[in-house]
Amino acid sequence: MSLALFVLKRLGRGVLTIWFAVTVTFLLLRLLPGDPALAIASPNMTAGTRAAILAEYGLDQSLPVQYVKYLGQLVQGNLGVSFSQGISVSDALLERLPWTLLLVASSLVVTVLVGIPLGVLAAAKSGGLADRFVQLVAVTGQSLFVPSVGILLLYVFGLRLGLFPIGGAYGEGVYGGQWYLSVISHAVLPCLSLVLVQLGQYVLTMRSTLIDALGEDYVTLARANGVPGRRVLWKHALRNALLPTTTLVGLQVCLYLVGGVILIETVYAYPGIGRGIYEAVVRLDFPVLQGAFLLLAAVVVVVNMITDIIYGVLDPRVKAAA
Amino acid sequence: MTMSEVVPETTTAESTVDETPRPARTTWRTFRREPLGISALVVLVLLVVMAIAAPLLAHYPTGYGDVVLAPPSGAHWFGTDSLGLDVYAEVVWGAQQSLLVAAASSLIAIVFGTLLAVVGAYFRRIDAVISVVVDLFLSLPILPLMIMVAALVGPSTMTIILVIAAFSWPEVTRVVRSQALSVVRLPYVDAARLMTSSPVWIITRHVIPAVSPLILVSVVITSSRAVLTAASLAFLGLGDPNAWSWGRILYEAQQAGAMSTAWWLPLFPSLAIFLLVLASTLLSTTYNDARNRKRSRV
Repeated sequence: MSLALFVLKRLGRGVLTIWFAVTVTFLLLRLLPGDPALAIASPNMTAGTRAAILAEYGLDQSLPVQYVKYLGQLVQGNLGVSFSQGISVSDALLERLPWTLLLVASSLVVTVLVGIPLGVLAAAKSGGLADRFVQLVAVTGQSLFVPSVGILLLYVFGLRLGLFPIGGAYGEGVYGGQWYLSVISHAVLPCLSLVLVQLGQYVLTMRSTLIDALGEDYVTLARANGVPGRRVLWKHALRNALLPTTTLVGLQVCLYLVGGVILIETVYAYPGIGRGIYEAVVRLDFPVLQGAFLLLAAVVVVVNMITDIIYGVLDPRVKAAA
Repeated sequence: MTMSEVVPETTTAESTVDETPRPARTTWRTFRREPLGISALVVLVLLVVMAIAAPLLAHYPTGYGDVVLAPPSGAHWFGTDSLGLDVYAEVVWGAQQSLLVAAASSLIAIVFGTLLAVVGAYFRRIDAVISVVVDLFLSLPILPLMIMVAALVGPSTMTIILVIAAFSWPEVTRVVRSQALSVVRLPYVDAARLMTSSPVWIITRHVIPAVSPLILVSVVITSSRAVLTAASLAFLGLGDPNAWSWGRILYEAQQAGAMSTAWWLPLFPSLAIFLLVLASTLLSTTYNDARNRKRSRV
């Protein structure tokens, strides 16, 4: 089984997932009781005006025709026009996407950098005091409600201590290096909230994968050969435990992160996709909701595809099994 | 805690079968000795009692109160909100709403998810389809999807229950299916096939009992996750506007711009959510450990 075939298979699955997301969205919007036609064309309009508006949005055609047209538009990158803002949905979303990616990427990196040492610490002496403590902290972290953490950090570090700004993504009227600094200081609290909420899961998975790896024959062999314990742990076992943990959690964390980022952006009035979703909900702006969902689904699928392919390149066993 | 971590912790089907004649009783005996598990159980029972007894504990908060944004005091234990309503009453009634949503949506998700899992495990031809659909569902970002549906259909308790149920069953199916697959391969299921030709009998009498511990854990995890999801939707203004929920208290506080001054508004509903979810997580972890004593010896 060649690498090209593996990559091709993975790409196919990614496309299938995106198609599924598109179809689910399309069907939900058309078949659920809330009629998007009602949102754009009020029943108070005259029959003529209403029909004209419905025709303009293509809502007067049969479902299969609408579906094919919808797919065609999506392929061309056309997500429709926002009801409330009058601009195209893709413009409205692309303006917000970098902010969301900043939060997601920075919190993922911090989670991994903090999570690996904590997981190793717990697994190295499993059952010990440090292990019990790490587990307790991880389980507690997993039980936190994202907005609660956001509000708490906002209250303590933003309002009481005044260490960080309390909302938005950058300071007004600052330029150059100052602007970048203000972006960082605005991102600290939202990023920290996301890290606190997802760290537990990463640490627990890291811990259990590493404990499994430490029970493998090659670890016993390395120990029998007199390799120092620390080296066995960090070089031999961790290396083998790291990759599966990262991909496995990559999927999960990515999915929860997307949910978390919507909530945390709402708490901090952060101008990302999540905040956009919140505003679209308030204004019942269905094209934006639908576009945001598709964009987030695409991001998740692409990230997973990339991690899977990297994993496949690094780990020869995956290629063999594909 | 997510179910993906629960899977490696659970016993394999073989050890379920090999255990002493009364596995449930030995599990309970081990569980009883775990102070964390017992306290989690007590907290959960107290929350359920509070939800059921809400009409006895507090008047339903409605209309306007006399003192606006009063800090916690003897008259108002948890303070009052921007309409002068008692936050304690809101939290108590919110428990009822949150637990109702959690119980109803996880019940639907568990029944549907388990059914698909065991039927899929038994009839391998259907299984291929089911597993593809489950994988597809699990690779979609669920919260934005639920937001879209809830916004479209309009917020009501029924909507929220159905939306959460509709997007929770794939996780249940994935977890239960993985164990059901190993159960149907066991010799005693083959033996059952020789004795009866009814798949319904084999599935209900042999497959479902074998995966029932996993179902029990799924119930706890699915409902605690449902509480978080319902709170998320309510926090975004998609909760039932006619019922108090923990998420709605946070939402109203943010809408009124009272979050920064009135610390008691976000604190108490947040604590309630935290307690409930933490207790559920600890309960399921302790139960898993108690059932799988091999693991606790590691």
